[in-house]
Amino acid sequence: MQVAAPTVDQLRLKLPEVTDAVLLKQGGFKAVYRATIGGQVEALKLVHIPKTSEDEAGELFRKECLGRVTREIQVLAECASPLLVKLGSIKASEADFAGERFIVYSEEFLDGPDLRVLIKQAWKPQESELKLLFVCLLKAIQQLWTLPGRLIHRDIKPDNVVRLNKADRPFVLLDLGIAFAVLETSLTLDPRHRLPPGTLPYLAPEMLQPHFRDTIDYRSDLYAAALTVYECAAGHHPFARRPELEFTTLSRVLHESPSPLNAVRADLSKPFCQLVDSMLKKIPALRPANLTMLIRQLEQKA
Amino acid sequence: MKLYAQHGFGDGEKISIGLEEGLIEGVVFGAKDISPEKLTEKLVQANELSPNAARLLDPQFYVSLLGGGTNLRSGSLEEYPYFRPYRRSQLELTERVGEVLQGALEFQAGLPLSGIIAPNILISRSFDSAESVIAKNFIRATGARFGKLGDKRPVYATLAVSREALLEKSQLQEFLADITLLDNPPDGFYLLVGASSSQARTEIFHADIIAGWLLLNYSLAINGFEVVNGYADRLTPFLCAVGGTAGCSGWFNTLRTFSLDRFAPAATGGRLPVQRYLSNRLLNRITFIELNGLRLFLPEVVNGLGHDADFPVDEEPQRNREVLQSWEALKALLNGLTAGDVTGNLTKCDAAIAQARDAYARISAARVPLDAKSGADHLEALSEGIKLFRELAEL
Repeated sequence: MQVAAPTVDQLRLKLPEVTDAVLLKQGGFKAVYRATIGGQVEALKLVHIPKTSEDEAGELFRKECLGRVTREIQVLAECASPLLVKLGSIKASEADFAGERFIVYSEEFLDGPDLRVLIKQAWKPQESELKLLFVCLLKAIQQLWTLPGRLIHRDIKPDNVVRLNKADRPFVLLDLGIAFAVLETSLTLDPRHRLPPGTLPYLAPEMLQPHFRDTIDYRSDLYAAALTVYECAAGHHPFARRPELEFTTLSRVLHESPSPLNAVRADLSKPFCQLVDSMLKKIPALRPANLTMLIRQLEQKA
Repeated sequence: MKLYAQHGFGDGEKISIGLEEGLIEGVVFGAKDISPEKLTEKLVQANELSPNAARLLDPQFYVSLLGGGTNLRSGSLEEYPYFRPYRRSQLELTERVGEVLQGALEFQAGLPLSGIIAPNILISRSFDSAESVIAKNFIRATGARFGKLGDKRPVYATLAVSREALLEKSQLQEFLADITLLDNPPDGFYLLVGASSSQARTEIFHADIIAGWLLLNYSLAINGFEVVNGYADRLTPFLCAVGGTAGCSGWFNTLRTFSLDRFAPAATGGRLPVQRYLSNRLLNRITFIELNGLRLFLPEVVNGLGHDADFPVDEEPQRNREVLQSWEALKALLNGLTAGDVTGNLTKCDAAIAQARDAYARISAARVPLDAKSGADHLEALSEGIKLFRELAEL
C-alpha cells in the first residue's frame, strides 16, 4: 500500500460497528483486516483512492482506481457462485483516514490458507486434489465469463485462491480488483504507456501484446489457472527463478515452454499433466477452451 | 477417424460399393453434381446400405460470389433454393448472412442427411480481409440459426480458405482464436483448403500449407469441434493424426484437391488420366504401368489389400475400380496413423515418411523412371509441414 494503512484505532473511530480488527495484509492500494461486524467475522477491505489531480494522467489513474473497486463490488454482488468470494455486511462507502480517501467495504472471511501459504509449507497435493482445484477455478472462470460484461479475472494466482475444504467450496477465488470486462468500457490505461495490471509472472503471453484489449478473452484466465495448478503440483512457478528480475521471467513466459508437468511430478497421470501443459501454450487458440468439456473431463478423471 | 467419399460427377455405383464394403464411412455430396431429387434418392440408398455412415451435403454456396450465367459451370447448383449469385458487398450485411444461412439450413433440414453443412464463402486471399469478416459472420451465426430449427443433428460450419490465406501464420492464429470461442458454436467444421487449380497438387503439398491445415485441425479438435476435411485425399491420415474427424476423397483430381476452377467453364478436350494405384508405402499414387514395373522389384509398393486385385499384373485396370483401391488404401493408412494421441501419431507419420523415402531411394538407385506426379516431392513437403506444425502447435 502506497499510503499507510489506517490503524485499528482509526478504524474504530470511523467504523463503530467494526470490532476486533486485525490487519491481515496490505499491498498495492488495498488493506485487508479481519474484523467482527455485527457478531460475524468478516474481511474488511479498504481501497485507497488517489486524490483529485490537476494532472490529466493522475486524474485518469484516480478514475481507474475508483472504477476498479466499483466494478469489483458490483461483480461480487452479481456472482452467485460459491467458488467466488461473497460480499459481507458493510456496503461500499467512502471514508477519510488521516487525510487520505478510501473506499470501505467487507467480504466474507474465508477461514483457510491461501495456496501461496500452502506452497511455502511444501504442500504436495495429490492428483485428486489438483483436479478439484482446477475444476473450481474453471467453474469460477465460467461464472465470470457468463456475466453480462463478460469478465476476465486477470489475477488468478496462488495468493488469490483460498482452500476451505468444504464440500461445496473446496477452493474459493478472490480479489477481482483488476477484472476486465470485455463488453464494457475498459478501465485499463493505454498499454503503450505501461504494463497491464496484474501480477507479472502470472500474465498470459497475449496480455503482454500492445493490442491485448481487443483480443483478450477468458483463455488468459485459463492460462493463469493452469499456471496456478502447475505451481501447486510442482511446488515452484514454471517460469520464474529466484532471484531474478521479473522481466527475465516475462521473457521466458513469451519465448520458452515450461518443463512438462509430468517431468516434475512423475506420479501424476499423463492425461492430467498434458491437460495442464496444453493450457500453458503461448497461443490462446491452442489452449482447450470448451469449459463444459474440460470440467466434465476433469470430474470424470477425479 | 473416418474416410468419406467426396461426391462429384460420374458417381455411378462407386459410393454404393464403397459404403457396402466399408471402404468409406460416409459421403459428402456436392450440390453441383446432383439434382435435389436425385440427392434424396441417393441419401435414402446410402442410409439403407450403411445406416451409420455420415450423409452430408456440401451446399457449395462459396460459388455464389463467382457470378452467374456463362461465367459459371454450376450444374445442378441453381436448382437448390438457397443458391443465387451474390456480390461480396451484399454479404457484408449480417442480416443477409442470416437469410442465406436460414435458407440453406432449412432446405437441408428437410433431407435425410446425418448432419448439416452450413453455407459460407471462400476466404480467397487473406484472413485480414472483408471476406474473412463475412466468413466469420457465417460461422458465428451457424449454431444459433440452426438451433432455432430445433433439429438435433450435428451442424458443421463451412470454413473454406485459399492456400494463400494459410501462409500468413499470425493472421491464421488470430482467426483461430476467434472461431474457437463462439457463443453458439456449431458441432464442427467442414474445412476446405483451396488451390488455384485442382491440377495444382504442389500448391497444397507445400510445407506451409500442410502445417496450416494441420494447425486448423489441431486447434479446432482440442476445442471440442469435429473437423470434416473436404478434398483432403492423401492428407486425410495426417489431418486425422492431429485431431481431424474425417477426410474426403473422390475419383477425379477435382474431387481430391479443392479449387473453384471446377466451377469455371470447362476447357475443351483433354485426355482421360491414366489409372493410378495408391501405394501406402510411397504415400503417393503411381500409374498402373509404374506399378507393374515396380511390384516385382519392390514388392512393398503393393499394399497387400483386397482391391489390389483391381490392378492385375500387366493389364489395364478398370477405370471405375480405381477409386475403390484408393479408398481402401487411405482407410488402411488412416487406421495405421491415427490410433494414439497426437504426439504418438506424429511419430508414426514421421516413420511412414521415412519408409517412403527409403522406398523412393531404392527406386532411384535402380534407375526406375517415374513420371512427375509419381515422384518423391510430396515427402519433403509432408516432412517439413509436420515439423513446422509441431512448432506452431508448441508440441
